[in-house]
Amino acid sequence: MSVESAASIVIPKGQVDLLDFIDWSSVECLNQSSTHSVSNALKQGYREDDGLHLESDADEQLLLYIPFTQVIKLYSIVVIGPEEEGPKTVKLFSNKEHMGFSNVNDFPPNDVAVLSPENIKGKPVILKYVKFQNVRSLTIFIEDNQSGSELTKVQKILLYGSTVETTDMKGLKKIEDH
Amino acid sequence: MVLEATMICIDNSEWMRNGDYSPSRFQAQADAVNLICGAKTQSNPENTVGVLTMSGKGVRVLVTPTSDLGKILACMHGLEIGGEMNLAAGIQVAQLALKHRQNKKQQQRIIVFAGGPVKHEKKMLEMIGRKLKKNSVALDIINFGEEDEEKTEKLEALLAAVNNNDTSHIVHVPAGPNALPDVLISTPIFTGDGEGGSGFAAAAAAAGGVSGYEFGVDPNLDPELALALRVSMEEERARQEAAAKKAAEDAAKQEKGGEQQASSQDATMTERASAATSDAENKTNDLMDDENALLEQALAMSMDDPATSHDVKDTDMSEAASVDPELALALQLSVADSTKDATSQSDMSKLLADESFVSSILASLPGVDPNDPSVRDLLASMQNQSEPQQKDDEKPSSNEEEKK
Repeated sequence: MSVESAASIVIPKGQVDLLDFIDWSSVECLNQSSTHSVSNALKQGYREDDGLHLESDADEQLLLYIPFTQVIKLYSIVVIGPEEEGPKTVKLFSNKEHMGFSNVNDFPPNDVAVLSPENIKGKPVILKYVKFQNVRSLTIFIEDNQSGSELTKVQKILLYGSTVETTDMKGLKKIEDH
Repeated sequence: MVLEATMICIDNSEWMRNGDYSPSRFQAQADAVNLICGAKTQSNPENTVGVLTMSGKGVRVLVTPTSDLGKILACMHGLEIGGEMNLAAGIQVAQLALKHRQNKKQQQRIIVFAGGPVKHEKKMLEMIGRKLKKNSVALDIINFGEEDEEKTEKLEALLAAVNNNDTSHIVHVPAGPNALPDVLISTPIFTGDGEGGSGFAAAAAAAGGVSGYEFGVDPNLDPELALALRVSMEEERARQEAAAKKAAEDAAKQEKGGEQQASSQDATMTERASAATSDAENKTNDLMDDENALLEQALAMSMDDPATSHDVKDTDMSEAASVDPELALALQLSVADSTKDATSQSDMSKLLADESFVSSILASLPGVDPNDPSVRDLLASMQNQSEPQQKDDEKPSSNEEEKK
């Protein structure tokens, strides 16, 4: 796929796909349609399938909470969606737990990205790197979509960054077992 | 086995004092809450339940979601009734309590008891409903107590706004003889959504100590069967009442019959007839009356004939008639019948005229000696008369009596 290769080219050296560091058991998504859940956009295998996508339910907004198994630094984000229903305004928060739609405006976002039509085809958005230096969890708030309709679809979300040199507690346990 | 955090919004408004649900609306609600808490905590050990009241000085959270059933049950005691139900505030506070649940893996659910009138605008409720849906909170509404079109409409609108994938439910419980928890136990609020539903209900029944369905059959699953069972139970009850009445009458009759036992065999016959009738009654169906009439008629015919009606018998018959008009009617009929049957009786007398045949029959009867002089006399007199056959009839029956 051309989109895929285009996206991967822009990845600077030293940054990795943060997929492996997501704490899947605690991933949350509010206002997701029960038939089109968040794993369709995040999980490996599912996100590569264009037929599977994350869909909003009651209205166009979506709120994703992605905790990580270890502290990371976030460099860039790729959000892919259809031309019409693809997300537009995306707000990112770091280390904010218990966020809901009601208090989403109570905190200043670490970064706001307004996605262009190129962005939702695979062009990465480079974030304010200094704002995402010590990230344990990431909250992504998708405020509206390209066409302003009631339905938002997200095909794929990619997170690029690097891990902070800390002791991975899970790795430590494995060694103790031996 | 749904992992859930539940907030139960109970209504403690002034309208809950009404006694149209036994013992009172408020007590019925409390029972239902206890049952729901039991069911929820039983279905999954990690489930939590919290309780808040919607009326009074304001919405008050009695227990934040906990899996400690004792805490939940304890908070239900000593609640004060007062004020008006504030549904909107109640739901919003419940949502807030659920949002800060400790285990984020739990599904969120709010159960609302709406007993008093709903004063909020329909639009406002729909807005709240959409907010719940957006935050993936399911909502169960139990609509009871005050009944008016507007309230039902508002609650339905609220549910429609929340409902996502049929996870939310509404139950309308009209006032009636059935206890509120009993009605709820067969609803989706207890049975859950599909898988593990029956187990859930069973667990709830065990927890609440309430016997599930009336006949061990869920009336929702098979309404026809439930109806058939109910109808058959009512019929059985009516039949038992009729049988008891008959038995009382028969007992009275037996007393009178007993007094006259010495003078006549007919008393015994009547007794036997009544015994037979009550026997027949025990296996009755719809045809009971017809069968009884036939049986009585047959018995009357066998023990009586017009030509030989002795005076004793007549008095007996009148006795019986005074006790049981039905029997009297049957006896009268049988008397009329037997005159009609004269032709067939003449055939019979021809047969009886055949001496050898009669004596062979008499010989075959137990306890009858064909050589007995009285029998011989009888047989001789029978040659030209049709009447004496009656005495032959009597003999075997008196023999039967001896055996008894």
